[in-house]
Amino acid sequence: MSTDTLQRAEAAVAPPEAPEKSQTFRRRPRISERFHHRLFIAPSVLVLLVLAAYPLVFIASAALTQSSLGNPFQEFVGTENFQTALTSSAVQNSLTLGTGYAFGVAAASTALGTATALALWRSLRAGAFVRTVLLLPMIVPPVIVGILWSFIFSPSGGLLDTLIRRFTPGSGTYAILSDTTWAIFGVALADVWEWTPLVVLLVFTALLSQDPEITEAAQLDGASGFQLFRHITLPMVAGTIVAAFLIRLILAFKVFDLVYVMTSGGPGSSTQVPAYLIWRSALQNFDVGIAATITLLLAVVVTVVTIPIFLITKRLRDD
Amino acid sequence: MSITNTQRKASRSATGVAAMTLALSACGAGGGGAEGDAFEGEHEGEELNILLNASHEGAGDWLAEQFEEETGVTVNVTTVPYDEIASQLTLDQQSGANVYDVSAPWYVSLGDLAADGSIQPITEFVEDTPEIDVDDFIPTIWEPYAYVDDEIYGLPFDGDIHALFYNTEILERNGFDEPPATWEEYAQQVQTITENESSDGIYGAAVFGEQSPLILGASFANRLAGYGGEFLDENGNPVINSPEAVASLEALEEIWNYALPTPAETDFGAGNSAWFAGNVAFIENWTDLGVRSQDPDSGSEVVDQWGVTYLPRESEGEDPRASLVAGFSWVVAGNTDNADLAQQFIAWAASTEVNSALLTALPPTGIDPNRLSSLEDQTYASDFPELQEVNESTLHGALAWPTGPNATEAAQILTDELAAYLSGQRDSAQETLDTVQSEWERLLVD
Repeated sequence: MSTDTLQRAEAAVAPPEAPEKSQTFRRRPRISERFHHRLFIAPSVLVLLVLAAYPLVFIASAALTQSSLGNPFQEFVGTENFQTALTSSAVQNSLTLGTGYAFGVAAASTALGTATALALWRSLRAGAFVRTVLLLPMIVPPVIVGILWSFIFSPSGGLLDTLIRRFTPGSGTYAILSDTTWAIFGVALADVWEWTPLVVLLVFTALLSQDPEITEAAQLDGASGFQLFRHITLPMVAGTIVAAFLIRLILAFKVFDLVYVMTSGGPGSSTQVPAYLIWRSALQNFDVGIAATITLLLAVVVTVVTIPIFLITKRLRDD
Repeated sequence: MSITNTQRKASRSATGVAAMTLALSACGAGGGGAEGDAFEGEHEGEELNILLNASHEGAGDWLAEQFEEETGVTVNVTTVPYDEIASQLTLDQQSGANVYDVSAPWYVSLGDLAADGSIQPITEFVEDTPEIDVDDFIPTIWEPYAYVDDEIYGLPFDGDIHALFYNTEILERNGFDEPPATWEEYAQQVQTITENESSDGIYGAAVFGEQSPLILGASFANRLAGYGGEFLDENGNPVINSPEAVASLEALEEIWNYALPTPAETDFGAGNSAWFAGNVAFIENWTDLGVRSQDPDSGSEVVDQWGVTYLPRESEGEDPRASLVAGFSWVVAGNTDNADLAQQFIAWAASTEVNSALLTALPPTGIDPNRLSSLEDQTYASDFPELQEVNESTLHGALAWPTGPNATEAAQILTDELAAYLSGQRDSAQETLDTVQSEWERLLVD
């Protein structure tokens, strides 16, 4: 890069102190300038292409072709994979289950996380140690979380089984992960335990960044307790809470590791969430075409359900 | 069993080394030209990467040590969970990484691996290498473990079949003198024992029911063999909704609620742990479980307290019938640069001498007989006569899973439907298997 270029760049970013410089700022960049601008953003564009565009093109291509794990793009089949997936009860059930699971888990995590953050904020003296301990579940690898909760739910000497037997001798065996109704709740509990600290972290940070003068002013006006929370604190952190819900929702849509470790998608198909179905189609059944199709369908579902939440987040932040 | 484990180890070690020398000499002398050169030093200093399932880790270490000692070739063993071996091999080959030269996947996946080019045909090599002696492989194992259509892709490695192991003390306590001969008797004994002893943590049986073809699928296949059913008819068409198959599923359901809690969560780890701890009276398992049951170093608390017999049948007096529930074949990776060395290795690893040594090696290797000659091995016969007898049921009419393209998905579909039925998500066994039949016709016939 030449000295001349550096000088022009400095001129471009300098504050418009004089009218002459302001006019210079507005003028159409010369070809060499445009080239350098493009050169500077090229790495970002490249990263976007590699990380976003290439996988998307690959998935879309696989969805439109007969593709196996070792031999993708064998034959163009048009919308055949979509027809197969959309008429498959397994795919329909999985997308429905995944959506319900994501909303349930996100709501539970957000409620618990917000409550915990408020409790932490109210008792700042609890210190860094307590806050670090509360964040531990998020640090533990998901596979370990799955194993841990499998042990807790194990009907042969698991923590839950042991406690139930101790306090209600002679009672039957409680096999949560083998029950078609309760298995998904078992996975959800582990998920909530693992990711609620993320919500705590986000909301707690937002609470700390509040302007204390506003709270003090409200207190001087007679506000206290729940009133103070309802009319002052909550509006100030509402945007963060909704954003945390959104992040949590997307994470819950992608859950795979917990299902893989805890239930293998079972019993039957009762915990076969979309990510697990995609994995099974691609890596167990070698059908990458169907796996890519389900991936696209999942992307559509996630987009549709998250757009309203994006809009709410934006509105709350703007307010 | 009168000899001690230490004596056995020493004896096996010496036998193993002698066997290796014989095997390598045979391959080297008889192979001639390229076939025998692995053992004439031409590959010394080279490396061979093999991909095995985790339960074969001990066998992999044993093979690596022996092969390196005899040939100077370094064998690097990578292990992955049993249900990921085919996808790992495929991804390795498809991505161009080509790390692996040799693998030993479940025989059911051979068709899919061949269709994707992840493994290469070895028909010519096998036909040009008479020392492999294909006629010596157990006939019912040879075809499903080796062929995809008319091409040979694999050599049998681990001839897995299930047998019925029983805890003699638990049976005695509950008044049973003999293990069951029929599935009906089996269900009765399991129910009685669970009712009598479950409050003390003892159950009638550990039933492998986790939703995996090698686990739940195996439990179903055991019963299908016992009831005389088949997966495919003689023309290769699915018959998975036959009356025998329906009876098999209902027999599995019958003991579901009396098994170690809970079958749906019982995988090999959970089931075997309960067996070794003496907490279950029965377990359907691979015959190598007997070797580990007799080895206190493997954590067994049932040394000299167990017996083994054939899987039950529908009616008393019927000939025993084996079910080839698992079973692994040696294959050569599709894109390997070491095809010659890989072929030499699998021929050696599938030989009588190696298989015989692996059968009785300590620590146990988890390998079952693949050849007639290793089945009749003297050490195996003298140390584990009951296991040898049970394994002889593979000689005639064993039940094998479908192979060929889409067989992996077919096995998974069956397993999913079985799990759905057993968890109460389906109305009847017949309806469940009708669904599987329809899917199998689409996958395996259309």
